[in-house]
Amino acid sequence: MIKITELQKYYRTEEVETIALNKLSIEVKEGEFVAIMGPSGCGKSTLLNILGLLDDPDGGSYLFNNIEVADFNERKRADLRKHNIGFVFQSFNLIDELTVFENVELPLIYTGVPSSERVGRVEKVLDKMQIMHRRNHYPQQLSGGQQQRVAVARAVVNNPKLILADEPTGNLDSSNGNEVMELLTDLNEQGTTIIMVTHSEHDARYSHRIIRLLDGQTVMENIMI
Amino acid sequence: MIKNYIKIAWRNLVSQRLFSFINISGLAVGLAVCMMIMMYVAHEMSYDRFHENADRIFIPQQSFTMNGNTMNMEYMSYAAGEIIKQRQPVVKDYTRTMAYFKPVIASNPEKPDAKFSEKNLLFADGNFFSFFSFKLLSGSAQHVLDRPFTVVLSEDMAKKYFGDENPIGKTIVLKTDSAFTYQVAGVAENNPSNSSIKYSFVTSNQSLLQMKEAKLYTGTKDISFGNFLPYLLLNHASDTATLRRSLDLMAKQDKTFDKVHYSLSALSTTHLKSNFGDSSNLKYLKIFPLVAVLILLLALANYMNLSTARATLRAKEVGVRKVSGASRKTIAAQFYVESALFTTLSFVLGYVLCYAFKPWFLNVLQLKIDSSFLYSPMVLILLAVLFIITILIAGSYPAVILSAFKPVATLKGKMSKATGGVAVRKVFTTLQFALSVGLIICGIVIDRQLYFFRHKDIGINRDNVVMIPVHNTFGNNYNAFKQDVAQLSGIENVATSHHSMFHGYDMVSINGKTKDDITMVASWMGDDQLIKTLGLKWKYAPATGERLAGMDRLVINEAAIAKLHLPVDPVGSYLQSGDQKFKIIGVLKDFNYSSLQSEISPLILFTPPAKFPFFKRDGCNLFAKIKAHTNLPTLLGKIQSLYKKYDADTPFDYTFMDDAFNAQYQAEDRLSSIFSVFTYITIALASLGLFGLAAFTIEQRTKEIGIRKVLGASIGSINSLLSADFLKLVILSIVIASPVAWWAMHNWLQGFAYRINISWWMFAFAGMTAILTAVATVSYHALKAALANPVKSLRSE
Repeated sequence: MIKITELQKYYRTEEVETIALNKLSIEVKEGEFVAIMGPSGCGKSTLLNILGLLDDPDGGSYLFNNIEVADFNERKRADLRKHNIGFVFQSFNLIDELTVFENVELPLIYTGVPSSERVGRVEKVLDKMQIMHRRNHYPQQLSGGQQQRVAVARAVVNNPKLILADEPTGNLDSSNGNEVMELLTDLNEQGTTIIMVTHSEHDARYSHRIIRLLDGQTVMENIMI
Repeated sequence: MIKNYIKIAWRNLVSQRLFSFINISGLAVGLAVCMMIMMYVAHEMSYDRFHENADRIFIPQQSFTMNGNTMNMEYMSYAAGEIIKQRQPVVKDYTRTMAYFKPVIASNPEKPDAKFSEKNLLFADGNFFSFFSFKLLSGSAQHVLDRPFTVVLSEDMAKKYFGDENPIGKTIVLKTDSAFTYQVAGVAENNPSNSSIKYSFVTSNQSLLQMKEAKLYTGTKDISFGNFLPYLLLNHASDTATLRRSLDLMAKQDKTFDKVHYSLSALSTTHLKSNFGDSSNLKYLKIFPLVAVLILLLALANYMNLSTARATLRAKEVGVRKVSGASRKTIAAQFYVESALFTTLSFVLGYVLCYAFKPWFLNVLQLKIDSSFLYSPMVLILLAVLFIITILIAGSYPAVILSAFKPVATLKGKMSKATGGVAVRKVFTTLQFALSVGLIICGIVIDRQLYFFRHKDIGINRDNVVMIPVHNTFGNNYNAFKQDVAQLSGIENVATSHHSMFHGYDMVSINGKTKDDITMVASWMGDDQLIKTLGLKWKYAPATGERLAGMDRLVINEAAIAKLHLPVDPVGSYLQSGDQKFKIIGVLKDFNYSSLQSEISPLILFTPPAKFPFFKRDGCNLFAKIKAHTNLPTLLGKIQSLYKKYDADTPFDYTFMDDAFNAQYQAEDRLSSIFSVFTYITIALASLGLFGLAAFTIEQRTKEIGIRKVLGASIGSINSLLSADFLKLVILSIVIASPVAWWAMHNWLQGFAYRINISWWMFAFAGMTAILTAVATVSYHALKAALANPVKSLRSE
């Protein structure tokens, strides 16, 4: 599903050039659950942003479903993203001015789903995430665990093929964290590909495979049994 | 999708009440000013365009040159219109009007005691109502004026004199020089506020021809200067050039005057061209649209400034939306919808403000605008255009800036300082303050110039002099009245003058050495007490025993000596006007008998003997010098009773000379009032802009402030650190504004012969005002940032 070859990304300031990704090559198959680990600054988040088409690489190739997307412009990336990729962030990133229902509804609006259909789909996914009773609350009225469940609901409402999770349990206590990991595992079992950046060995154990990065390069891959 | 946009915009608006209020009301004030000025300008531009044939109606104007002075005359003899029509085939039709130059006394004969003084009696040709498009509410356009002594009343007059009765066929008495009874033949709609032709009563020129005074007005049988405005209806609007050439040729053939040239002014341009009325409106018409555009741009810049200043708060939202599939275009659309919502609210509020302050604005400008005009299609279209332009501009910058946010950065809370806009904001703020400073400087200069006008020694003792117009209706009783007034206890002295002071003068032609060498000089006529009453000073006093009064003598002012090439001490020399010779018996020191806008011109003062019937025929003015500490209302009451004893019909009227003097500067006064309001608004808007800029930049420096505080910086030092940056902008704005304001005011002052010097303190005052305003505005944010707990700001990184 995803094949990156010799991917490069630099960050430049006026005097210093930092290499974030150094000719990195990774392949992720459809239906996989991959964890990416590594120390701070190793390029994990940069990789996730490029995979999520939020950022573009400075070199190398990125095949998404066998389509070269490395040189896509912003409009094309936005288009591909909204139909195929869901995001889960460490800090939830819900819009404070919108209710739970409206936050989850957002991706459906941008993919042009008619409003009659949206209600059903949002309710279904809220039900699945067990936060239906909170549908009319605003994010700041929810606990961290609940907020992250809303974020996951928003990530999956469009039935994306790929979910990118950036330290999804980072702001949660262990019991809420485990709940979120169970949700992701369920989604993966239903066929969604998941790539998750994490610092937590515990969380990484939920995945099929761990890719360890150091200085923008793969240093090790563990297959989980 | 739009629903979602509006929903979030509304929630943002409500959750950020203070910000929303500042933003909406700031824009609303700008829009209100713009709307008000737009309506005013539209009204001025729409003058006389409501006539069906407006584009084909022209007024001929004669100009001729005499001794280097060009004289323009548009009032012509009664015969002129007819002659032009007969000899010029391109003229399809014409009509003539004569606006009676003074108020008339009107009464309904059924209620003879209810007499009122009314303005705007118009004498017109029989085709007046078919030539123009004034609507008749009753009566037929062809017949209302086809007989002598029929009258058409305006709606207001019909109501005033006949109440709810049908006035048609009834009679009304109008007293001009003598009283005449007119039969009401029609009622016309009140003349629209954008009509240069004003009427309360319209009667036919035929009526005038039957009056014994008619000769005065209708005498000559050829084209010459007169009292009538001829309106010409051309076959085609494009015939003007042909007609002008042909009229010039006609003047040459007739040899009525040498070197006469004709020009034609379109009816719709006469209002703005008019030199006879108050030309101040033309000044405003040049300045106001510029001010309106500037104030609107200021308000829009503020709106954009404040909206984008709060961008960091919305950055996460933009990131989430982009991650959820929004393209840049949809984000831009969202912010456009949001701006549209804010702008709509501002527009509604602005409209309310505009209507609330309209009476004040119109009052200051001394204007009347029909309310029907304010709802006319033209005004509604202009408002719609303003609305659309406002939405387009207001939404543009926020949409571009906010939609460009990179989700990666915003979601991680790493809003870079390069988010942009700082430079743009600084430019906005600097220009706003420059405009404020400029307006303050202009305001001070205008105000000082007006003060100077009011307090300059003009060589006339104008305090405590009351001027009472006396009409020819007094008959032979004027001298008796004058004696009676002189005997009242509070009166120091009385004098007679042909004209009221500061209200014009006559012109007399003085012969030169050759036949063609004629000089026109201002002339005045008064009695032998006039010089004393006005406190005028002699340069060369008349010889002892020399009488002032006499048909063979005159007094001149100093300025006349040079202009008329007289000897240094011209007392005893002679001046000739036509075939009459006058001896110069004295020379007065120069004094400002007209506005200080112009230099003192040569003046001749005639003092006819007491028995001379001139004042009796034309009416005159009684000048009464009142003793200090006199009870004015009581004294004026006594004068009024004396007046009524001799003329019960004509209303008693009086003006203090001081007020008449000040009234000459009405245009400048109004300019000054309007200017100060514009200045306040601009300062308020500029402060809002600075408020936005301060919010934005200080928010970006939160971390720096936190670190400084951790390292031991005091609140005061942080406050001054932050304020200093903004003060630099304000000082830059002062540097930009000062020379521009100096230039503008220097040019403005050139229009006055007597003027103040622009001095440094005016700039200093304006600069200090701007600096203090800026410090007060910025301090709010600076103190807030300085007082904040540094732990918070550092943790947010």
